[in-house]
Amino acid sequence: MTATAFGWLVLAFPLAGSITIALGFRQWRGRTAGWIGSGAIGLAFASSIGALIALQSRSPSQRALTSSLWNYIATEGVNVKLGILVDPLAVFMCLVVSGVSFLIHVYSVAYMDSDRGYSRYFSYLNFFVFSMLLLVLAGNFFLLIVGWAFVGFASYALISFWYRRRTAVRAGIKAFVINVVGDVGLVIAAILIQRDTGALDFPAVFARAGSVWHHNEWVIVAICLLILVGAFAKSAQIPLHTWLPDAMEGPTPVSALIHAATMVTAGVYLIARTHPLFELAPTAADISAAIGALTLFFAGTVALVVTDLKRVIAYSTISQIGYMVMGVSIAAYSAGMFHLMTHAFFKALMFMAAGSVIAAMAGTQDMDRMSGMRRAMPFTSVAFVAAALALAAFPGTSGYFSKDDILAFAAERGSGYWILYVVGTVGALMTAIYAFRMIFRVFAGEPNEEARELEHGHLAHAEPVNPLTGEPEDTDVGFPGPEHHIAEREAAMRAPMTLLAVLSIVAGVIQIPHVTDVVTDFLAPTFADSRFADVEPSVGLSVLTLALGALMSLSGIAIAYLVWVRRPGTSAQLVARFRRTHDFLIHKWYFDEAYDLLVVRPMTRLGQAASRTFERVVIDGVSQGAAMVVRAGNSLVRVAQSGIVRYYALALMTGVTALALYFLIAAK
Amino acid sequence: MLSILIFLPLAGGIAAALWPGSGEHGGRRAGYVSLLFAMTTLGFAIGLILDFDAGFGGISNVTGLQHVTDVNWIPQLGIHYKIGVDGLSLFMIALTTLLWAGATAWSSFREWPKARNYYLMLALGETAVLGAFCAQDLALFVLFFDLMLVPFYFLIGIWGGERRVEATTKFVIYTLVGSFLMLAGAVATGILSAHGGHVSFVLSDLRAHPLSKGTQEWIFLFFAAAFLVKMPAFPLHGWLPDAYRAAPTPVLVVLSGVLSKVGAYGFLRIALPIYPDAAVQFQELLLVIALVSILYGSVMAFSQNSATLVVAYSSIAQLGFITLGIFSLRPEGAQGAILQMVNHGLVVAPLFFIIALLAARAGGTDDLRRMGGLAFRAPVLAALFLIVALATLAMPGSANFAAEFLILNGVLKAKIVYAIVAGAGVVFAAVYMIRLFQRSMHNPLARGAESRDMTLTDGVVLVPVVLVILALALYPQFVLHRSQNAINTSLPREILIIR
Amino acid sequence: MTAALHAPHIDYAGLSPLLALSGGVCVTLLLGLARGPGTRMLVTASALLTLAAATTLAAWQFGENKSLVEGALRADDLALSLDFVFYAAAACALILSLRDPGTSHASLGDYSALLLTSVTGMTVLAGATNLVTLFLGIELLSIPLYVMCAVDLHRRTSLESGLKYLVIGSVGSATLLYGLAFIYGATGSTDFGPIAHAVGRSGIAHDPLLLTGIALAAAGLAFKASVAPFHQWTPDVYQGAPTPVTAFMAVATKAAAFAIILRFFDVAIHPAKGDWDVALAALAVASIAIGNIGAIGQDSMKRLLAYSGVAQAGYMLAGVVVGTSLGLKSVVFYLFVYLLMNVAAFAVVIARERETVLGDDIEAVRGIGASRPALAWPLTISMLALAGFPGTAGFIGKFFLIEATVQGDFTWLGVVIVIGSMLSLAYYLRVVAAVWMQPGAEPVRATPVMAGGSAEASPTGPRAGGVQLEVVAIAVIAAAAVVAFGIIPSPLLDVASDAARAVFG
Repeated sequence: MTATAFGWLVLAFPLAGSITIALGFRQWRGRTAGWIGSGAIGLAFASSIGALIALQSRSPSQRALTSSLWNYIATEGVNVKLGILVDPLAVFMCLVVSGVSFLIHVYSVAYMDSDRGYSRYFSYLNFFVFSMLLLVLAGNFFLLIVGWAFVGFASYALISFWYRRRTAVRAGIKAFVINVVGDVGLVIAAILIQRDTGALDFPAVFARAGSVWHHNEWVIVAICLLILVGAFAKSAQIPLHTWLPDAMEGPTPVSALIHAATMVTAGVYLIARTHPLFELAPTAADISAAIGALTLFFAGTVALVVTDLKRVIAYSTISQIGYMVMGVSIAAYSAGMFHLMTHAFFKALMFMAAGSVIAAMAGTQDMDRMSGMRRAMPFTSVAFVAAALALAAFPGTSGYFSKDDILAFAAERGSGYWILYVVGTVGALMTAIYAFRMIFRVFAGEPNEEARELEHGHLAHAEPVNPLTGEPEDTDVGFPGPEHHIAEREAAMRAPMTLLAVLSIVAGVIQIPHVTDVVTDFLAPTFADSRFADVEPSVGLSVLTLALGALMSLSGIAIAYLVWVRRPGTSAQLVARFRRTHDFLIHKWYFDEAYDLLVVRPMTRLGQAASRTFERVVIDGVSQGAAMVVRAGNSLVRVAQSGIVRYYALALMTGVTALALYFLIAAK
Repeated sequence: MLSILIFLPLAGGIAAALWPGSGEHGGRRAGYVSLLFAMTTLGFAIGLILDFDAGFGGISNVTGLQHVTDVNWIPQLGIHYKIGVDGLSLFMIALTTLLWAGATAWSSFREWPKARNYYLMLALGETAVLGAFCAQDLALFVLFFDLMLVPFYFLIGIWGGERRVEATTKFVIYTLVGSFLMLAGAVATGILSAHGGHVSFVLSDLRAHPLSKGTQEWIFLFFAAAFLVKMPAFPLHGWLPDAYRAAPTPVLVVLSGVLSKVGAYGFLRIALPIYPDAAVQFQELLLVIALVSILYGSVMAFSQNSATLVVAYSSIAQLGFITLGIFSLRPEGAQGAILQMVNHGLVVAPLFFIIALLAARAGGTDDLRRMGGLAFRAPVLAALFLIVALATLAMPGSANFAAEFLILNGVLKAKIVYAIVAGAGVVFAAVYMIRLFQRSMHNPLARGAESRDMTLTDGVVLVPVVLVILALALYPQFVLHRSQNAINTSLPREILIIR
Repeated sequence: MTAALHAPHIDYAGLSPLLALSGGVCVTLLLGLARGPGTRMLVTASALLTLAAATTLAAWQFGENKSLVEGALRADDLALSLDFVFYAAAACALILSLRDPGTSHASLGDYSALLLTSVTGMTVLAGATNLVTLFLGIELLSIPLYVMCAVDLHRRTSLESGLKYLVIGSVGSATLLYGLAFIYGATGSTDFGPIAHAVGRSGIAHDPLLLTGIALAAAGLAFKASVAPFHQWTPDVYQGAPTPVTAFMAVATKAAAFAIILRFFDVAIHPAKGDWDVALAALAVASIAIGNIGAIGQDSMKRLLAYSGVAQAGYMLAGVVVGTSLGLKSVVFYLFVYLLMNVAAFAVVIARERETVLGDDIEAVRGIGASRPALAWPLTISMLALAGFPGTAGFIGKFFLIEATVQGDFTWLGVVIVIGSMLSLAYYLRVVAAVWMQPGAEPVRATPVMAGGSAEASPTGPRAGGVQLEVVAIAVIAAAAVVAFGIIPSPLLDVASDAARAVFG
């Protein structure tokens, strides 16, 4: 079988799974739906491997294959086929996406067990995977946009999965709208591209790009910026990041899959995919890199203070994606993709562990109420620590190599890019701190009552209330289900976590600078056309970066240990000392407030004003005005119609005279 | 052939009106009779699509007109009864018959006072609309265009909701003001383009003898007025809120699903081909109107509490997009417009049906504040609603998106600024549609509202339409392919700059 | 001297319709003297027979286009085609009056005879090609009408309207006569032919006498056609007169007036068109405006129709203004349509007058959509037709008129017509809305108060429909015709074209 055939299969299985589950939602009993879903994704993963093999069997220059089903739009000046492009980059993404998705599906089979929306959940989840794979396999901008919007919708549907939670609904619409903003940016970019190159297929566009646009001319810069709007909306980069923390309203496995491992990295993929355009528009690329750096710093600072467990992880996700965006923007493509992969591993794992903890806490996500879970949930704590080590880039773990790969490349680009390097390094320090802040606050210290309960073998069971609003949960739509599930008790949850834990620790070995450059070599054909294809961090730089990285990571862990274990209360003092800064951070730099003030309120005001005043006064005013004029004339006529004969005679005579006069005058 | 298609519904209406049977029992039977005829008409339309010849490279049919009937109807006035179908009208006809079948079905499952008159009027409406879509003679078009008003005047005025008389009067007067201006314009066109004292209103003749630029301009404005009112477009939409709130659901469906398209269709069929210079002259103006309609409609849509009005204003925005596409004066734009006309008809119809169902569940009100949480025991309804809502907000992957993509494509090539601003409209659409869906389906269950799924009869009406939506989403080319040739022939060469 | 006199050659064939009518008048009068139960029927029958005969003869003469009595009259297609309108209107009036409480006071013999006389006058007027016959016709048609308006002796309004009509009417006639005299004085001839010749030779510009004459004549004719600002008698007289008479006046008088207006302007002073068309256009605009605006908010159906009549006169005048063959065609066609539309409306009004105590008030037709469909549909159709909705002959008529204005370089006048039609919606639709969209007033037993009750004219509930069978029939037939000619207008258009050909060749 050819690689493209496998490509279509990759798409077919999840879609089929989603539809099957949806149509049969009344039939499925117990965990059937879950297993169907997982099976579909498993097959997709298998097909991805098939594609990989089929692709590797070809000579490197022949590793970009296209295939299309039928004409979607074909008319004057526009031609869109339903076509896919299978090349190393796509296959790489397919593997990561379907692989991680498969594990998370399996995890969900147990975790969502008692939820009333069980089938709906897996139908959505499969649909999401389908969309994500469509996104990465799309062979032209149009189909890319389709996948792009589909994942946006799937994310929306899963964020407000517990749709009787007002908070969930609000978070859902926020995510959806911001994503649509991104879509529109992408659409306009696509149309501009179509206008200038007359094509939408990636190969054609990239082939003609060089001849159509001059280096860094404003059109191509504009196009790239528009693409960035899409990328940033999806990847929660400043200023379009505000939806991601709220997205934690969704079930925890969803956060793991969509809002950590896969969808949010789509922006990174997009930039990598359209790298020929960005290399034509260095300005845009630099802006993107700068924003990536800014975001990674911003999110890091916020993650230091937030106390909601899932939101901490969310901000760390934003921060890590900042690294990736920075990477692909400075042409460290393989490094960026590599970090994307490792991040998928350890972040998914971290969310799974967090989910387990939250389950043990009967739905509570606030770290202030957690402590000493270590003994109560040994497995979970180990998994969490593994994830945290990788996240903190502990020497030897996967995160260590992937992140420093990016930083080294920044250093290699030199000059202004050193700033990025510095920011990235500082970010690394913060990452280590907040990663272990979680560990120490959740697992270390005195066991809280849930922990003690659990040690005695029964799982805490609180009446679920919405942690944000405190309003009681509507278990009809199954806020995580009447009863909860923790890794310690569910093989279906343990298995994927174990696998991911291993990967998080060891996956780094496949890309040790100058030793094993597996990822780089694999992706090479896709990025062969890059001006920076042969740029590679010198050994010295790599070593320096690795050393510095190790230092940052270790000192970060040490600081966390000092603050939260050795001297509890230090954090309180710090907060008291830097009240202002703390407020600033705890309000996430006031982004939400700003948007509310600048966009949301004005819009609603405008709408209300329009419907109250304008519609009433102007639109109706016109017709009423006309009516009034007519009525006035009418009353005039009625007055004249007095009913008295002599007046009629008078009027008649007047008319005659007027007529006569007209004739006499006009005729002259 | 086409005449049968046009007058079949009317025959059905008359049959329904005269069908024996007394009381409401008779009313029901009347419903089934006219439903039967509506379905037959739909069948006809499908047949029409099937044997339609997309006519590529066919020098034989330059105009792409098919099934032409041409009778010299009123020779003294130069009015021909000339009807025919081409890529422009083909899918409008299909849409009309489909939605009317749906509306009739929906009605026949319910009780109506004075049912016989009701079905008669409904059928008369279909005949008039089909006539307008088939007409190939300016006078004939005007005739059918105005004739539409009669049945709708009664349908809203007799079977409507509160303040129905005011609403319908406002509606008819608004629309007729436009139509009468158009009548004058049409007559003037016929007379002034008369050559050798031989007056003819046949469109092809009128195109053959274009008017002087000055004349074109005022006549074009008259027509534009008529069409913009019909759509309606800002600021001529004064009749819309009242009429939409008053109209009974099935009427509302065809009113918003089909009648609004006649205006847009008129631009493509009449205004552009016959007054090309004026069309170019006023391109800016129309684009601005379209743009304002998009923004204004959207802003209004997401500040309404009445679900009906949300959709009502949203259709102002949608029609704005269509106008935008038409007056990009580029084939892509026009193609997008045609596709979008079909799509909008297809989505707005189920939306109004669904709103009716929601209202029934929220204690008879369409007020969003009284709804919420309805999805819980109504998964099927929720799913259908979701699909329709996503299609409405032009979710990429829906035919609506394909259409908007083409429209923006055309506009961007013509005037880039408008395309950028129109982008904002797309975002707004997302806001108000998702708001509509969530306010009704999500959130805690509202007080006084009960969540139950739709009945089989509702499904019979809704599901087919939704299936069509999905089918088009997979293969919009089906429409584009058949309309492309007509676009290239109906848009006057001289105003098209094809890359 | 006497020897010099020799009787003019008389073409009796051409005159035959007139002769038939005059004969009919006498016969009817005599029959009217008879006393007894059958009289009403008998009289009406003879009158109808007369009309039938006249119609047949007119049809027989159609297409002959000859002038009679030394050019004093013309029996051409213009005259004859309009004769049909008079006869039809008269027939309807007769049938409607058959059991009308209002007209029943006068002996029906006199009544019918008066009607026929008036028709005779119209026939003369329509054929008049000479100032004297013109005036003769006018008077012959007017004087009987004065009486007929006042025929309902028990109602003061009827008498009042008769008196008003008499007074104002004589002022109008006087004006006309005055004008005719001037014209004769200026051109030295009473025949249209020579007048046209004179006007064509030296124009009218430099001749104040002629100008004044034309002005006065125009006013006089405009008065008969109730064109604003000479319309004010119309609403009062229409409202006061017995409704069948009103119906007759509304249709026939207007047609007759337009017949002569067409001939006067399109033949007699056509060469000077450039000098009078703007003036006429002004009159047209005035009537369109005043008529439409005045009709808004009228509660009396008869007043409403009166004002609408003024507006419609304005529309038709637009057809005269352009002074072209097409214009004449459109006017003649519109007169046909106008006949049908109004007869239908008036028939319904009459029916409701007799069914309820509400008289001609709009309340009387409220909700009849549910209770009396046989009346509701005709009224609806006639209203929509008057408003110019498509699918009715009214639409074709308007279309035709506008076509004429555009072709005659009076496009703006066409636009005025259109705007007028927009205004007219305000009151036509009000009636339709009352018929269909408002709860019906219970059919009430008519009391003698308004409808001056004679036994059979005070219907009670169920019998009501039966009693007015003939009225309903007329309404339905007229309405059906409106729709039919809306779909297949060609027959009428052909007649209209013949009429135009008779004048413009």
